[in-house]
Amino acid sequence: MDVQELVGIVPWNFVATLCNLFIQVYLIKRFLFKPINGILEKRRAMADAQIRDAQKAKEEANAIKSEYEQNMLEAKSRASEILTSAQRTAAIQSEEMLKEATAQAAALRAKAESDIAQEKRKAVNEIKDEIGGMAMEIAGKVIEREISEKDHAKLIDEFIANVGDAS
Amino acid sequence: MNLEISGAKILFTLPIELPILGRLRISETMAVSWIVMLLITGLCIWLTRDLKVENISKRQAVAEYLVELANNFVVGNMGEKFRHMIPFVAALFATSVVSNLISLVGLRSPTADLSTEAAWAVVVFIMITAQKIKAGGVGGYLKGFTTPIPIMTPFNILSELATPVSMACRHFGNILSGIVINGLIYGALAVASSAILGLLPGVLGDVLSMIPVLDVGIPAILSIYFDWFTGVMQAFIFCMLTVMYISNAAEG
Repeated sequence: MDVQELVGIVPWNFVATLCNLFIQVYLIKRFLFKPINGILEKRRAMADAQIRDAQKAKEEANAIKSEYEQNMLEAKSRASEILTSAQRTAAIQSEEMLKEATAQAAALRAKAESDIAQEKRKAVNEIKDEIGGMAMEIAGKVIEREISEKDHAKLIDEFIANVGDAS
Repeated sequence: MNLEISGAKILFTLPIELPILGRLRISETMAVSWIVMLLITGLCIWLTRDLKVENISKRQAVAEYLVELANNFVVGNMGEKFRHMIPFVAALFATSVVSNLISLVGLRSPTADLSTEAAWAVVVFIMITAQKIKAGGVGGYLKGFTTPIPIMTPFNILSELATPVSMACRHFGNILSGIVINGLIYGALAVASSAILGLLPGVLGDVLSMIPVLDVGIPAILSIYFDWFTGVMQAFIFCMLTVMYISNAAEG
């Protein structure tokens, strides 16, 4: 079998190697780099998407938190408002009640006083009637018997004493 | 005993005569380089079978590691704008390293033929020159030969041409020397074992001296350096020089 030179350039081998090299470049690109780079790119995209999702979720959580805090703040202010208004209402009511009570008491007292005055007048009238009656009686008695000067004086004293007792 | 180290065998010759190329001869170099290409492409296809985004197999991890390695090697040495060079450098390295190591299974390395390295070196030389012209224009490229003084022009041309020649010859020389040294060691150990066993008396010595006992094992140890180390190292050096020369050319 023929052999080629140990050290030398064989044109056909040279050309074949040139072609082989470029075919090999294409093959390695097509069968190794394209699929692997594709998968690496896909993985990178997936990781990016996950990070984006996480950031979005965080933003949402922050929004919810701030909303909640605002709600809490509002609720607190509303509660304090309600409390103050209730206190005010209570104060007004108690004042009104107090005023009413005072008025009622005053009315009661006025009525009682007028009652007392009426009773007093009534009593005085009764006494006057009694005195009149008594005077009539005494006059009758006087007319019935002979009244001495002495008796007369005694009667008058008696009368006065009676009146004094009655009034 | 005779030791003969020859060039690649010519498997058959086609009866076609072309002006410059001469007769088409299918040599061992070509046949083995096709085997190398099949091996590399087959490996690529096998490594990238059923790729997944998550929960990847060990095979896919290896494939991704190789791709990342190639990316880092090229981008790290040449910069981001040479990203398109990644498949070229990877193909060059893979072809070179598989060609160098295929001698371990008894085939003749395609890289033990100067034509192979010469073709690679010429491609790299064209790329270097293209980068230089791209960076400085044709005028700038030609003017570059007259620096620092016009009298240096012949030397500059010589040093420019020395680049591909040295790249090709360095790689070729290392692989060929590996073959030569391996051949010598096999021959020498066969002679040594026949000499030692021939000391045995009578027929026993005659029979045993026919068997080259020392050829078992000892050449394997030496091939760690001459085949494995040199094979990987030369492929790496060739690619490293390619990358360095091209990126230097682009810088001007």
